[in-house]
Amino acid sequence: MDGLTLFFQSIVSHANLSDLFSVAWATLLGIAVGMLPGLTATLGLALLTTLTFKLAADDAVMILICMYVGAIYGGSRSAILLNIPGTPANAATSLDGFPLARSGRAGEAMGIATAGSVLGTIVGMIMLAVFAPLLAEAALNFQSYEFFWLAVFGVVISGRLTGLIDPLKGWIAGFLGLLFAMVGQEGIYAYARFSYGHTDLAGGFGLLPVLVGVFGFAEVLWVMKNPAYQAVKDLAGSVIPRIGAVLRHWVTIIRSGVIGTFMGLIPGVGEDMGAWVSYAAARNTSRRKDEYGKGSIEGLMSAETGNSAAVPGAIIPVLTLAIPGSAPAAVLLAALFIHGVRPGPLIMIENPRFIYDVTAMILFASISILVFGLLLTKPMLMVLRVSHIRLMPIVFVLCTVGAFAITSRLFDVWVMLAFGVLGFGLRLLGFPMAPLVLGVVLGPILDINLRRGLVLSNGDLTPFFTRPISMALWITIAITFLFGSAWFTNGLKRLGRRIAGRRATP
Amino acid sequence: MGRTAARPLSWADLLTSLVLIALGTATLVEALRMPRFERFQVNPYTVPGLVPGALGVVIAIFGALMLARTLVAWRRGHAVPGAADGSEAGSAVRMFLTLLLTLGYGVGLVGRLDFAWATFAFVLAFLLVFQWTPALLEPARRAALARVVGFALLQAAIVAVSVTFVFERIFLVRLP
Repeated sequence: MDGLTLFFQSIVSHANLSDLFSVAWATLLGIAVGMLPGLTATLGLALLTTLTFKLAADDAVMILICMYVGAIYGGSRSAILLNIPGTPANAATSLDGFPLARSGRAGEAMGIATAGSVLGTIVGMIMLAVFAPLLAEAALNFQSYEFFWLAVFGVVISGRLTGLIDPLKGWIAGFLGLLFAMVGQEGIYAYARFSYGHTDLAGGFGLLPVLVGVFGFAEVLWVMKNPAYQAVKDLAGSVIPRIGAVLRHWVTIIRSGVIGTFMGLIPGVGEDMGAWVSYAAARNTSRRKDEYGKGSIEGLMSAETGNSAAVPGAIIPVLTLAIPGSAPAAVLLAALFIHGVRPGPLIMIENPRFIYDVTAMILFASISILVFGLLLTKPMLMVLRVSHIRLMPIVFVLCTVGAFAITSRLFDVWVMLAFGVLGFGLRLLGFPMAPLVLGVVLGPILDINLRRGLVLSNGDLTPFFTRPISMALWITIAITFLFGSAWFTNGLKRLGRRIAGRRATP
Repeated sequence: MGRTAARPLSWADLLTSLVLIALGTATLVEALRMPRFERFQVNPYTVPGLVPGALGVVIAIFGALMLARTLVAWRRGHAVPGAADGSEAGSAVRMFLTLLLTLGYGVGLVGRLDFAWATFAFVLAFLLVFQWTPALLEPARRAALARVVGFALLQAAIVAVSVTFVFERIFLVRLP
């Protein structure tokens, strides 16, 4: 009941004209960023972090959350109209959204995507309000041993789930991220690792320059390398969905919302997997499986509900464990630190209202996407008429400013460039980027907690393996490694065939 | 995991795995060279080289696994799912031009030239390079050439002025 009171207090305190104005422009900007292929939610958040770092913490966080919710929703527009997901989170949306648009039902598809996004965000928001305080309380029992495993767990799970085709590349990306985080002064003796007397390197790689490089500059290179996308044709049909048509899918909405939130909650997995897993679950349980991929309203609804629900989901571990649930959430985490908010297990003790403030901000953002989605869809499509050759130099200028502005070091611009080229190269080679970024975030956590844990146990490794939560984490990590290894799964299959063969010939 | 008659070796994966093995080994060597502060009798479990060394070992192992997997797949004629085969769509020329322009701006211009002028030069160069076609030089296409150059100048000026103004004046952010 206390939670509900705090939530209402948060809503009332933010329901003033200046806050609502910020919500409106930030969400609208987010939708535009999401719509444009080449501009991802992560880059949008990173740029807005730069722009807002002189503002009060509360205002800055609200603007960032609205950008995040808006961008994930906005990506559905280009997925439906161009068959190019505006952000990676909307890839599943294009599977059914684009066939619907091609058959002259673009308006209806966008209406369904709007409804799915709003409802998904609301399901995720409710789960955030309910579970974040519980998780924060549980995390109070975490010691260095658990935080060490949590860091490994994040990288391994993220590597597995984002590297679905090739888990090994996902894990390599994650461990490379951890290694990059080792550059610079470490947290116990302030010894500058891998710095060779270079003062800038001793400061380490900033998270924002790395993120802007990997998700901004690399994306510019990617977009410029690939053929241009076609300008949008005029939009047919009403974008206001019929309430009956939406409510008919209530089971899909709730299921996708819960799955999306859960996928968001897992470190470094995020909105794209939220959409894919929700989509797969909806298809598996559907009575009309054959319509999927050909313009299924249910499929479109599940993808958009899933990716939007993952946004509040990804914020849950940011607030309670200081571990990001997705790449954009990693920027949000960095922004919280910049503004002096200390997320982590103590948040419900030090700043209990904050979780409900964030919940209220998500509510405002979701109302905002509903309003803009229904009223401004047609005018906003003008954004998609901008050619990518005109857009990309602007994006790159913003990347440069975004990398530089927080610490005013030219070195950060070079870090952005280096990680952009590295990220682009790794992407060409089939490595996913989310685990790499998560590794950079989790590196210091892993480093300090392993060494602290070893001091606490006087070099004894037993507590790392025997404490209940640690045990659950390392067993999950081991299982993830085993089932992600081809030799293990092939061996299991061979064993299964052999047993079946023996039974057949007694 | 389809079996094909003669699948070529994935050179990209092979080279990547060798780079990873080298990187992991070099990291381990560097980690071993890091100070252990024996003089100060610090707890040996807190030495700075512990975690980087362990990460070096893990990366070298992953590299070795990738190398083994690539070679085995090549010998058996299997396809490794997700292996890079260099058949990515798109234009390498456009990619290299983009790299040249962006790195030129980021390393060469920013910090040396006033930000607004550097940005103006970069955006103008970018637009002209990518909107350029030899046909624009034909006498009959003078108007088209003037339009391309004119719009490029206009966009470059608008971007340079507006980015500088919005960041420096409205949001009080320092620019390079």
